[in-house]
Amino acid sequence: LGGDVLLPAPQSISILSTNMKHFLTWSPVIIQGATVRYSVEFQGEYEREYAGGSWIPTSECSRTTATLCNVTQDISASVAYRLRVRAELGASRSPWATTEGLFTRAMTSLTPPLLRVLADGHHLLVELADMGPSFQFRVLYWRKGQESRVQQKVLREVSSVVHLDTMEAGAEYCVKAQTHVQAINRSSSFSPTQCVRARGDASL
Amino acid sequence: LSMTEIRAGFTAIKANIQSRDPIRTLSILSHPHSLHKVKSADRCCITHQLFTFYVDKVFKHCRTEDSFVNRKISSIANSFLSARRKLGQCREQNNCMCGEESTEKFKQILANYEGLNVTSAAMKSLGELDILLDWMEKAR
Repeated sequence: LGGDVLLPAPQSISILSTNMKHFLTWSPVIIQGATVRYSVEFQGEYEREYAGGSWIPTSECSRTTATLCNVTQDISASVAYRLRVRAELGASRSPWATTEGLFTRAMTSLTPPLLRVLADGHHLLVELADMGPSFQFRVLYWRKGQESRVQQKVLREVSSVVHLDTMEAGAEYCVKAQTHVQAINRSSSFSPTQCVRARGDASL
Repeated sequence: LSMTEIRAGFTAIKANIQSRDPIRTLSILSHPHSLHKVKSADRCCITHQLFTFYVDKVFKHCRTEDSFVNRKISSIANSFLSARRKLGQCREQNNCMCGEESTEKFKQILANYEGLNVTSAAMKSLGELDILLDWMEKAR
């Protein structure tokens, strides 16, 4: 069937990028009774400017049936990239559909980190969800009512639980955090503030 | 930070690239003198020259039949571009002067490169990337 089918290029191609995870998506090409596959290629500034505009097959999406491709491994430098996708059915190949603009990883959207604040007796602890090697965390914490005396801890790697402070009995402490990505020198907004109370009686 | 990414990319393909270099008795970057002999005042200039050398002359002749290797070379080449851009900012602020020694050293590297056929020279230069990275990290 595939030999002589005129395949249209995929439509509605776009890049979705959140927290340094980059995906190319497109609309499916529908051919009745057939399984259409897709191949994705990328082109960095080097390929455009120094290697004759060459393209490189992505690491994850050659002849895939999905309409989503994880290009995180391929967008691996702080330069502008272009991406393209085509449909394939047997020996038939559609024209390439190429992303309109250029994409740099600095365009990724950064969301606040997920965190859980714990009071373990007098110890103020925070648990942060791991977001991958590109991420650092800036954690701010303070005793409620002493907002002018905010303390900070920068975490380059996320171990399971991090000890922030030793709390005074019965006092309430608050914590919020943001991520920072050194590769693009950008930070997320802060997470909502979470407060916990230390065990014991505050009047003692 | 680009250096960390370049180092990671190179480490992933180092054995593959170095196995393609049959001429073990010659060095592009270290003959006759090691990069470590370059004076600190000349370091910025020779680094910029070397980045330009790799971007203009080396990477384009390193295409292989292995798509994994080709992707890593692309990653390294694009990281070189963004790192060179940062170095370019130093040149604009005039604190990246090219002394006689670094000019001479870079001429020697080009002579070593042009002394081989282009594919061998490019593969050898790519295979010697750890010499450049080690020197840059030590110098930092």
